[in-house]
Amino acid sequence: MKKNRWITIILNLVLWLCAFLILIPVYMVIINSFKNQSEAAKMNMMLPTQWQIFKNYYDMIKEGGILRGFVNSTVITVICVLFLIILCSTMAFVLERRKTVLSRMVNMTVIFGLVLPLQIIPTYFVCNFLHLTHETAAVFVLIAANMSFTVFLYTGFIKSIPQEIDESAWIDGAGQTELFFRIIFPLLQPVTITAVIINFMAVWNDFGISIYFLNSAKNYTLPLTVYNFFGNHSSDWQLVFANVVLSTLPVAAVYLLLQKYIIPGMTSGAVKG
Amino acid sequence: MRRQSVTQRHRVMPTGNKEEIMNSLKCRRYSYTLAIPGLVLYLIFFVIPAGLGLVLSFVRILGFDLSSARFGGLENYIDVFTQPNMRRAITNSFIFAVITTVFKMGIGLSLAVALNRRMAFTNALRTIFFLPAVINTVAVGLIFSSLMHPSNGLINAFLENVGLSALTKSWLADPHLAIFSVCAIEIWKWSGFTMVILLSGMQTIGKDFYEAAEIDGAGEFTKFRYITFPLLLPAFNNALILSIIGGLKVFDLIQATTQGGPGSATEVFGTLIYKSFGAGRFGEGCAASMILALVIAGIALPTYRYIAGKEVEM
Repeated sequence: MKKNRWITIILNLVLWLCAFLILIPVYMVIINSFKNQSEAAKMNMMLPTQWQIFKNYYDMIKEGGILRGFVNSTVITVICVLFLIILCSTMAFVLERRKTVLSRMVNMTVIFGLVLPLQIIPTYFVCNFLHLTHETAAVFVLIAANMSFTVFLYTGFIKSIPQEIDESAWIDGAGQTELFFRIIFPLLQPVTITAVIINFMAVWNDFGISIYFLNSAKNYTLPLTVYNFFGNHSSDWQLVFANVVLSTLPVAAVYLLLQKYIIPGMTSGAVKG
Repeated sequence: MRRQSVTQRHRVMPTGNKEEIMNSLKCRRYSYTLAIPGLVLYLIFFVIPAGLGLVLSFVRILGFDLSSARFGGLENYIDVFTQPNMRRAITNSFIFAVITTVFKMGIGLSLAVALNRRMAFTNALRTIFFLPAVINTVAVGLIFSSLMHPSNGLINAFLENVGLSALTKSWLADPHLAIFSVCAIEIWKWSGFTMVILLSGMQTIGKDFYEAAEIDGAGEFTKFRYITFPLLLPAFNNALILSIIGGLKVFDLIQATTQGGPGSATEVFGTLIYKSFGAGRFGEGCAASMILALVIAGIALPTYRYIAGKEVEM
């Protein structure tokens, strides 16, 4: 028993050491965002001799376009997540329930998108051909890129809902739309929460797709404002750090408040498969 | 002859009819109308681009002017394989995928085993380890650009303070080292994610397995080797595939830290496609993109099959 206690103590020490590998960079960024320019350029862990909190964050908000980035990110994320939930739950419902050869093939095609990476250049061609504005194109492509996974999540869950429910609703005179939105969709609530979390994180933090489509300060999302701000102000580390803090603050706050849902939510698709 | 066929039809028809009725009913109840908006969107923004990409990869084209296109055969593919940048990108993508996968799985598994028990700070530690997964990659890239700064960065400062100044390096600026430094950042960001996948896999394993093993006198290692690991394989499998695919697809982290540089030291498929897009060499970009898709499918599917075959039913 005594040996066991020692193991626990050593294990705890090692684990906290690992935790510090994550916490120290976070601390370093926050503390340096409070310093003046010459001190922040040293990038050490010391407390600032001159606290410059208000000025740094004020300058950053004024120059970094972070408010606009916040608004853009929010608008794009809300639209994408809403569409993904409605489009993918209906798709999964029809494709799972029909069980015809065609529906199986369509389902396979959709699920194949889990493995196949999005072909970004031809997608750009298509958007160009359809004369979509940059923002609309970004929204559509972000939706398409996250569809396979969302359909996959919903399909697994819909399988577990007995078909007798559909039949009894149908006999009671519900049409297809009514059957889905009034009977089935409420039953999907647990998986809907997961899908909202995964897609929120994916779209809010996206950089790889938006960098192709969003190309002016007017339509930058938060990750893009950070990226471009660093490109222009790589010597103003205090502002860069303030930018990093502000752009991660919303999602970090959401994470700390709702971690009970977010951690299982973000990983649930990968656990059982 | 004729009479026979009539009786046969007669015998088959009633059941056939019933099925048909049921089927048409089912088709009405689950008609495609409900799914069409989603399917159309997926078709336009995923399926058609995939086909178009295949076509464009065989075409010489400059800009968006489709009339300027002419058939180029394998020219784009030959370009991809002969330019030194491109070969560098292919090797780097593999190095990145292999190294990050090995470390993410190793660290993730160790953390999961360590945290799969009740201790004073289990929950706090899990929260901390998962935190990097929710921070956007650009911010992570910038944080590490600062930590790995050659003269002022925290990593070199730390090494100097503990008397290891011989080990100080210009982590992201040294062409021989940069790709490994970028791997380290990816490992930092995603090990906690792997940990959570494996942890949730471990929590589905029934306690009675362990109790039975303890009665038989199994030690910690035996229990891990013969109970935890085999039953964890489905989760392990998924984490592994996710990591390999993610590693081969990497773009945002490298764009945020080195942009493929110095020189072409950290060039990967993702940065290559982005660069050919920026330069208007769309055909080449599509060819690189196609090769990446084939590589991913070629690695992910057999790996999945192989490990799925080893799973144990619970």
